[in-house]
This record gives sequence, structure tokens and C-alpha cells, in this order.
Amino acid sequence: MGPAGRDVPLSVVGLTIDYGERRAVDGISLEVRPGEIYGLLGSNGAGKSSTIKAIVGLVRPTAGRVLAFGHDAIEDGLRAKEVLGYVPETALLYEALTPREFLEFVAGVRRLEPTVASERLRTYAAAFQLGGELEEPIATLSNGTRQKVLVIAALLHAPRLLVLDEPLNSLDPRSVRIVKELLVRFVRSAGRGVLLSTHTMEIAQELCSRVGILDRGVLRAEGTLPELRERSRRGDASLEEVFLRLTRQDEGLAEAVASLDGP
Amino acid sequence: MGWREADRLADVAFGEVALQATYAFRQGNPVPPKDGKGMVARSRRRVTQSKTLIAVLITFLNLGAATLLRLGPAARVHLVPATMPNGLYQAGVLTGLFGVEVALLWWTGIQVVPTLVASGAIAVLEPLPIDRTMLRRIAALVFLRLFDLPAAVVLVGTPLVVGLALGPWAGVAAVPACLSAVAFALALSLLTSRFFVRRIQGTRAGGGGTLLRWAYLLLWLLPAFGLITFATASPPFFRALATLAPSSGPASSPAFLALYPLSLAVWPPIAAGGGGALDVGGLALAIAAAAGAGYTALAGISALWLYRAVPDVGAVPPRAPLAGPGTTFALRPQRPPWAVLTKDLRLASRTPGYAFLILLPLLDSVALGFVTYAGAPGTAAAGGIALGAVVSAALLATFFAPAFFALEVIAQSYGRTLPIASRTMALGKVTLVGAIYLAAGGIVLAITAARIPAPLLFVTFVAAELPAVVAAGLLELTILFRWARSRGLPVTNLYAGTWNVLLAAVPGVAVAVAPLLTFPLLGVAGMAAVALVELAAVAPLVLARRAS
Repeated sequence: MGPAGRDVPLSVVGLTIDYGERRAVDGISLEVRPGEIYGLLGSNGAGKSSTIKAIVGLVRPTAGRVLAFGHDAIEDGLRAKEVLGYVPETALLYEALTPREFLEFVAGVRRLEPTVASERLRTYAAAFQLGGELEEPIATLSNGTRQKVLVIAALLHAPRLLVLDEPLNSLDPRSVRIVKELLVRFVRSAGRGVLLSTHTMEIAQELCSRVGILDRGVLRAEGTLPELRERSRRGDASLEEVFLRLTRQDEGLAEAVASLDGP
Repeated sequence: MGWREADRLADVAFGEVALQATYAFRQGNPVPPKDGKGMVARSRRRVTQSKTLIAVLITFLNLGAATLLRLGPAARVHLVPATMPNGLYQAGVLTGLFGVEVALLWWTGIQVVPTLVASGAIAVLEPLPIDRTMLRRIAALVFLRLFDLPAAVVLVGTPLVVGLALGPWAGVAAVPACLSAVAFALALSLLTSRFFVRRIQGTRAGGGGTLLRWAYLLLWLLPAFGLITFATASPPFFRALATLAPSSGPASSPAFLALYPLSLAVWPPIAAGGGGALDVGGLALAIAAAAGAGYTALAGISALWLYRAVPDVGAVPPRAPLAGPGTTFALRPQRPPWAVLTKDLRLASRTPGYAFLILLPLLDSVALGFVTYAGAPGTAAAGGIALGAVVSAALLATFFAPAFFALEVIAQSYGRTLPIASRTMALGKVTLVGAIYLAAGGIVLAITAARIPAPLLFVTFVAAELPAVVAAGLLELTILFRWARSRGLPVTNLYAGTWNVLLAAVPGVAVAVAPLLTFPLLGVAGMAAVALVELAAVAPLVLARRAS
């Protein structure tokens, strides 16, 4: 891996993931460049979450490589995990711990200094308006509050790469705005990158510099919105229309919508 | 729709419980790549294996009790006073058996009922057009399936064994005690789990809250220590029991016979040998009869309560904590192994199944410490009991490493994305194992320092065994982490993973036992040498950088 590779936040090469005989991800390659929010779009079951699980070390791929700032996420998982922060799709945490205890554990594992960790917690907790909830068991918290805790946990060590799987699902409008601002400011710092998985086209259109469109485990298209419009031959189309066109989900869509009046 | 339909739906719901107990998908575990197709069948098989293991253990206990029942008065002189009537002795043995059966079933319950709650298997059915009666039946059948094989051994195997040992009528007379044991154990499992969700899981962080949680856990789990309590307290129990017979000298209060499960355990010997078999007098028998009837009625009420309460098992939210002191944003991160240790302790303080494991050797030490204290001061026997407490703590400790490994099933989808090496995790967990062992030794010493003949020998004995306890824990964790890497998922709760825990514990027990065996031959120095050699051999397996 050359010096250039170490500057690239994320590089996925020929990633293939099989679950038994079912192929969930089929040889995809993508790259998150410095200063970029890369949107990974796809329908349900397209392979977004499997791809992200392989990137963060939860699933061992059948084939392919994942490099986070040049560190092989499969062969040298610890180094890769040190540079990335991860927000999972579902807020599955240590339910018996309080958020503060959980964040203390995360900060300990990531070897943070107490003053640094405390200051960051103070900043993010204020932004998300978290107070007494920090002392209550996670089991008693709402999904939205858990999601805020996960976002804080992902940012606590000031990572250089953020990997987020549908991070805005359970959040209230104010917190959605906060997270969007956080992401935009995050990539302003030199060399950082974000991989954002979503199936909400408006969010991708608003936040992402480039997007990759996954369909049944295959990366159908990749590029900026103008590039994708050009590829789908729809000059003024929204990202949703481009997505439906490129994944051929627009075929029969009008008839399906019309049939909803039937029952 | 009747019980047949309820059974069909319960089978589907139980499949979900088995799947979650084995693979913990609801706790974020990804589908193991190699397990895709056969995982439903595999999870059912693993749960059946675990239930079979517990059932086999109860069968062995039954056979052991039958052997004790069959022993003649001459063979039992070391266990009980010579003047003790045979019927009373038999009642004592059966009391131990029934107590241990309740403890084992309850232990199974506190391991698995939280999984039943977390699986949402019953909650999924609630929005469907199924009436309340049917829902109750389904929930009751799912709950019973968690315990079916072990409970069947208690309900059928125990009366059979008692019948073979003491005669057919004794077997019949054991049935109320067996029914009560199952009803009480299942009710206690549910009660403990509800209590856990409402009072323990919902407590705030901080010193007071932590203390309160451990106090609650101790209070509620204490009876589940039946196995160890009976083993350590059996000589005083038999001595107290013997005094019920007027022929033994001054009789103790007949109210002693009102205790559970003694009041139910007296009937098989009476059925076998007649009213005079116990030699305790009419009043004592009347008290036993009244108490036995009361316990049987209470068991019936417990069964009815279970039937009503089981469907709501997943619907009890944790009680919202009371308003606490002002929020603090101060984080005190520790070095990674200590962070793992602290996290495990905090999780265990809110999880009865794991708190049980931490408290078990400590309570055992307290019990044995007091037995030593109560004995003749400065005798070799007192020293022997004290060393026995350390030996049992060392052997119990060999089961902690797999148990604390199983703790990783909680939120493992998140934990595995953190930059934490297996060796760091192992170090944190082994430190906890070592600390529990040392705490157990410290408790015995604190209670018995003035009573044992050679306190220094005791201290060096504890210290000499420590490297072996650490080596055993490291070895077990190495095996489990390697399985985790190669198979994708041995991390699972103790209920579904009993087989894995036992397989990993066998070499651990061997490592822990080896220095203990050398003690009579080579003394403490030889014992320490063996333990250190073991640690030196095992540590590189875990601590080598490649093992991460």
C-alpha cells in the first residue's frame, strides 16, 4: 500500500459476501475520498448493511479487500477500527449500562484521556440536549435517545472515517438537523471521509458528494448527481427518479401505483 | 382453537426463542456466513442438548440420592449421628434432593427467561387475532418447553428412583414434593426475571444504585444457592434433624418440620416404614402434614399464577428511575482491560444469571468460613475445611471464564466494531476471575484467621493456586475466542451454550486441579511450581500479538 492509499479514507475492492448459498454482495468496489460524504443507496436487501458490516468487521467477506486509510479491515482489523467511527442501523447497545457507563467503556477501549472524553461528551450531549438520560439504563431510553448515544460514541474519539448505517431513522427533526451539520463539518477537516448508507433519497441528495447505487448486491452506478442524471438520460431528474431508473424499479411502477385504488 | 392449536403455535414461538438464545440476532449478531440454511434446526438442537445436560445432571443426583437412601445405618455413620432414626435420615436426604432440584431448575430459569423476554416471541403474537385464552396457553407452553426435559426428570424420574429405593408407596408419596419443586422453581424463575427487569435493570448509575442492585441480587438469588448451601451445611442440618427424635436426647422444636422441603420429604419414609419410621411424635407429624399441605396448595397457586403471568412476561417495562443528582459529563475511561472488567461487573450487577456466578464462590466461602469458625479451633479439621473452601472457589472459578465470555453476547454487534483485541478482552476477564478467587480466599481467612492452625500456610496455599486459576481462565478463553473466529459464533447465552461451556471448562478444570493434586505430595512450593509452569505454558497462547 503506497502513501496515497493511506490518505484514502475508505477503499473497497471486489467485496463479495455470501450467506450460505445466497450471495448478498457481489464483487463491489468503491472509494470514499478525502473530504467526501459518499452515499450508499439501495432498496431493501440490496446489500448495503452487509457491505457496511464487512467494513466495520462484523462480517468476514467471502472475497475482496476493505482498506480504511490503508489499514486492511479484514487482516488488520484493530488498526482499521481505530480510525473509524460506526453508527449501526439498529441501536443495539449494552442495555444494562447507562449511556455514561457505555461511553466510559468506549472511551476506555479507545484509550482516550479523561479530560478529552469528558469535554467531547459535554459538547455532543449539549447539542443533542441529553442530560439526566445519561444516568438512566439504556433499556429505559427511547430509540431516538439510543441513536443519539450511538452517534456520540462514534464521534468520541474524533475518528477520521465515519461509517453510518441509516443513522437518521429514529431521530427527531432537531437531532436530524444536528447530525447533518455534524457530518458536513466533519468532512471539512482535512482528509476525513463519511460513508452514509440510506434509502432516503432526499438525505442523500442533500448531503452526499457522490453516491453509489446498490441493487441485488451489485453496484449498478456511481458518481455525482449530475453524472448519474447523465447516465440515466434524465437531465433534470431527482435522485429518486435516477435511482428508480438505474435499478429498473420504475418499470411497472405507474401500474403498481394505479392498482392501489383497486382494493 | 384448542390446546392442539396452541401447541402448534407454541412450537413456532419456541423456535424463535431457541434461535435468539443461540444466535442472539436481536442483540445485533449478524448471520454467521456458514450457518445460513440450517441455523433454525441447529439452534433447536443446541437448546435440546443443553436441556438434556441439565436433565442428565438431575438424573445423577437422583441416583446419588437413591444410593444414600439404600445405605445401611453402618455406612452412614460419618454423615449423621448414630442415634438418628433411619426414617429421619431418609427425609434429610430427600430434603437435599428436592432443594437441589429447585435450585437447578431455578438456575436454568434465570439464564433463559430474560432471553424469552428479549426474543419477543410472545409479543409478536399479541397484535394477531388470537384471543387471550389462546395467548395464555401458547405462552404457558413456550415457558414449559424451556424446562421440559429437566422438569420431566424431576416429575417422573425422582418418584421412580424414590420408589425403587424405598418401595412403590414411597415413590407415590414423593409426587407432591416433586410437583411443588417444579412449580416453585418455575414461579421463582419468572418472579426473579420480572423483578430483574423492574427493579434491577431500571436502577440508576452511581455508588448507591450499584450497592442497591447487588443487595437486591443477593437477596433474590440466595435460595438459588441450594446446591452449594446444602453441600456445605449438610452436617449441621443432619445434626439438627437428629434432635427431632426423642430417643436422641433433648428434642428440638417440632416446628423445624414445617420447613420447605423437609415437610414434604418426610412422607416417602413414612409411606415406606409407617408412622413410627421417623420417631418424632404425633405433634411433629401433624405440623409436617399441615405445612406439607400448605406448600402443596402454594405450589398449585404458583402454577395458576404462572399461567396468568407468563403472557405478560415481555410487557413489563423497566421502572423509570427516580430523579437523581445533577448530570455529570465527566467520563473516567480506564485502560482497555480494566474497561472490560468494569463493564462486565456493571453488566453482571444488573443481570441475575451472571451475578449468580460472581456471588456463588463468595457465598460458598462465607458458608464454609462459618462452618470452620463454628468447629473446634486450631484443629487440623478446621484447617482442612478452610483449604476446602479455597479448593471449591478455585474449581468454581474455572467456570467463570466461559461465563464472562458469554457475557459478550450482549451488544456484541457493537462491541465487535471497537478496536479491542481478544487478548485485551481475555486479560480483563481473567483479572475478574482472579479477583473473585482471591476475594473468596480473603473471606475465608477473615472469618477463620483465629481458628485455623496455620494461617500463613492458608495464605501461601491461596497464592500458590492463583497462577493455575489464571492459567485455566486464559486457556478456556483461548479456546472460546478461537471457536469464535473459526465457527463464527460460539458466543451465546449459557442456556443454549452449555455444551460449549462444558467443553471449554474441561481443560480448565484439569489445569486448576493439577497443582491441588500435587499439594499432598510436594507441599505449597511444589504446588506453586506446577501452577507457574502451567501459566507460563498457557499465557503465550493468549498474550501473543498474533492471538489478537
